[in-house]
Amino acid sequence: MDANKVDMFIMSNAKFFESHQLHIIRDRLITIDDSKWVMISTAQFKDPSTSLIISIIGGHFGIDRFVIGDTGLGIAKLLTCGGLGIWTVIDWFMIQGATREKNMQKLQQFLY
Amino acid sequence: MHLFQNKLYRILSIACLAGYIWLYFNLSNYYSKTTSQIGVCLFKRVTSIPCPSCGTTRSVLSILQGNLLEAFYWNPFGFLLLAVLIITPIWLVIDAINKKDSLLKFYGFIEKKIQQKLVAIPAIALVLINWYWNIHKGL
Repeated sequence: MDANKVDMFIMSNAKFFESHQLHIIRDRLITIDDSKWVMISTAQFKDPSTSLIISIIGGHFGIDRFVIGDTGLGIAKLLTCGGLGIWTVIDWFMIQGATREKNMQKLQQFLY
Repeated sequence: MHLFQNKLYRILSIACLAGYIWLYFNLSNYYSKTTSQIGVCLFKRVTSIPCPSCGTTRSVLSILQGNLLEAFYWNPFGFLLLAVLIITPIWLVIDAINKKDSLLKFYGFIEKKIQQKLVAIPAIALVLINWYWNIHKGL
């Protein structure tokens, strides 16, 4: 794919991924076919800051996990009073990383 | 995929271990008849309104005593949680011995099922009804 397009994608979507994954994404995007550009450029990613806010407000009921797509863990969190309140606090710090990981999983469907 | 499997299995084993430790503390508390209740529910502490899963510990304790009706009164989630607490460690051990990922596959299957609207909406409704019931009971 065109390097300009790839750089534009990286610049506008950098906050959705872990910084150490960015150069892997860039290398991979340059090698893949141009026909996938429409899919990749229109893909919706979850914002880590939004999920942090959701986690602080509704993390006790597992809503943060539901929002990023971890339905199973969300139910676990809901049924155990937010993991006895401990998991809630842990997730305030973990949820941004988890969101970025989910975004990476989503992008990987297009990359490979 | 392999990375995710290890992570899920780690979370599940930690959760089960924590569950059993919590249960042990509550059981020993129950038998020594100490009145000190340890409440860990953040939501209840902050708002003094019980959350949808408040009373689950008491429900599990009632099941272990054999009072199924009382367990249902405390919180119906107790049955589900106790079943998960018993089945998951066995399944984890079996998977570890056979070096397979049957639990992960089952987890993915359940996750897909629950994300369907036909299942999700009744499930959410049930949780909300249970929450209302909890508030009504004044747990």
